Amino acid sequence: MQRAVGGLPLAPALRARLVAAGFQTAQELLETGPCGLSKEIGISKEEALEALQVVRQECHGDATRTAGGSSATRKCTALELLEEEQAQGFIITFCSALDNILGGGVQLTKITEICGAPGVGKTQLCMQLAVDVQIPECFGGVAGEAVFIDTEGSFMVDRVVEIATACVQHCQLIAEAHQEEDNLKALETFSLESILSHIYYFRCRDYVELLAQVYLLPDFLSEHSKVRLVVVDGIAFPFRHDFEDLSLRTRLLNGLAQQLIIIANDHKSAVVLTNQMTTRIGQSQSTLVPALGESWGHAATVRLIFHWDNSQRLATLYKSPSQKESTIPYHITSHGFRDVQPPAVTQNAEDTGVNPRKRPRREEEK
Amino acid sequence: MAAKKLRRARLSEELCERLSRYQITTCEDFLCLSLLELMKVTGQSYYDVQKLLCKVSRACAPKMQTVYEMKLRKSVNPSSAFLSTTLHSLDKVLHGGVPCGSLTEITSPPGCGKTQFCIMLSVLATLPVSMGGLDGAVIYIDTESAFSAERLIEIAGSRFPTYFDSDEKLFCMTSSIHLYRELTCGTVLNRIMSLEEEIISKKVKLIIIDSVASVVRKEFDTKLQGNLAERSNFLARGASVLKYLAEEFSIPV
Repeated sequence: MQRAVGGLPLAPALRARLVAAGFQTAQELLETGPCGLSKEIGISKEEALEALQVVRQECHGDATRTAGGSSATRKCTALELLEEEQAQGFIITFCSALDNILGGGVQLTKITEICGAPGVGKTQLCMQLAVDVQIPECFGGVAGEAVFIDTEGSFMVDRVVEIATACVQHCQLIAEAHQEEDNLKALETFSLESILSHIYYFRCRDYVELLAQVYLLPDFLSEHSKVRLVVVDGIAFPFRHDFEDLSLRTRLLNGLAQQLIIIANDHKSAVVLTNQMTTRIGQSQSTLVPALGESWGHAATVRLIFHWDNSQRLATLYKSPSQKESTIPYHITSHGFRDVQPPAVTQNAEDTGVNPRKRPRREEEK
Repeated sequence: MAAKKLRRARLSEELCERLSRYQITTCEDFLCLSLLELMKVTGQSYYDVQKLLCKVSRACAPKMQTVYEMKLRKSVNPSSAFLSTTLHSLDKVLHGGVPCGSLTEITSPPGCGKTQFCIMLSVLATLPVSMGGLDGAVIYIDTESAFSAERLIEIAGSRFPTYFDSDEKLFCMTSSIHLYRELTCGTVLNRIMSLEEEIISKKVKLIIIDSVASVVRKEFDTKLQGNLAERSNFLARGASVLKYLAEEFSIPV
């Protein structure tokens, strides 16, 4: 109730008038009432009533917060956070080495950034994740939907069909091998059509459309509450050209990052961004570094860098709060993103006969 | 979409008036400002500004489509997904040929046959659909002056002798290939920007640019400071326009 007038979310002109008239706290405003307010400041009675309603809403919000309602605040003990984190799901990538270095897969409520040179497999991984997020829980997935925001136009529907078909086949093999009730029931809803109809695709042609889309995303996610993955393929592309004002670019990017963090937290979804590489010319050599500058590096929680080593694709975990840095090789096959098969592999006689690169199922651990 | 005027975004007249005093006339200007600046400029409260932001965003945000809808749309007209190059092994590797609706880049050291390949593709595009072509016109932007009309006729005659048996057919084919000679980066960019209307009026089904690198390397010396940024700017702008054209009209570029 002791809130200062200057901090209320009213129109600036109105606020200036209130301060000039000598009002200092919200309490005083509420005591005066709309008629008195309109006479003193010289605004209409309706405007005064509106302003008072805003003030009342603010104060009410303040009161519930200070009364200790922990649902409204964002404070909780580290123990509660630990329990939450442990219960959280991961989105697997079908490449067990990559899942291992990430600590289980792409984490929900965190922003993961994938950087790499063109052609190394960033969009492939994004498409794989958009399919993997929909895997039912009994197979070890999070059973969510996906939002795919494309700025580069490299999304190929046929490729997603291939990846989705391979994923469905894989789940079918497991179901046949284990013959459990819920597995078979889940398989009925997990088909090619359902996978494709739960990937929501937006094509943004420039940075304004991207900004607009991110502003509208919270509303979209409240309508589609099952979304667990937001992919922005090519966050660098619209910002790298046509921007003379670098400070504006940094500001817009930071704003974007903030909004994505809020989205990730509020809706418990993973946000995956792909970034391009740029050359930094040093004293004697030039190195490839992720684009968009140093300040953008703070936006993502987890950073993966994909690069080539002769003809082998490698993925390096560059930044992560809980895992250590390491590099693993990976493969892109007609089924999607997979491990590199070691030269001499001893195959199990059972269900892994078709594809020995599968990772062990999570339900066995439970 | 970005240059959409705020007036068309269904904001009130007086608000648009007020914003234009601050030089904010398009959605782009509006969305580039932070919330506090917007409050100052519109003179409205925090919650109202948020609602305004949503309104403006809705005006320029892209439409949502599920991947399933996209797949259904594609399967409705399957034949127009690729332009076959008539080289079987190449078509197999490319999964059908040069894809429609996206950019394809052909690179090689000099003398390997890029321009010849482009000339052949132009002939193929003018063929009717029954013969594997796209039955449309071709826009050929030539920056090296390497296009030879005689070679075009030679290829057409010897490759498809049964089809091009009369002079009339050859004439028809050659008149649907529109050649533009552009020698500087600026003119190339201008030409790309003006292509939209030409594509619709001339029923163009293929765009070829031969070659992007030569004109860029001529003009931008990368050892000079600042040229690298300008060059990437030019390339990126050209690329985004071409991508838009390819997607919008579903033609190969």
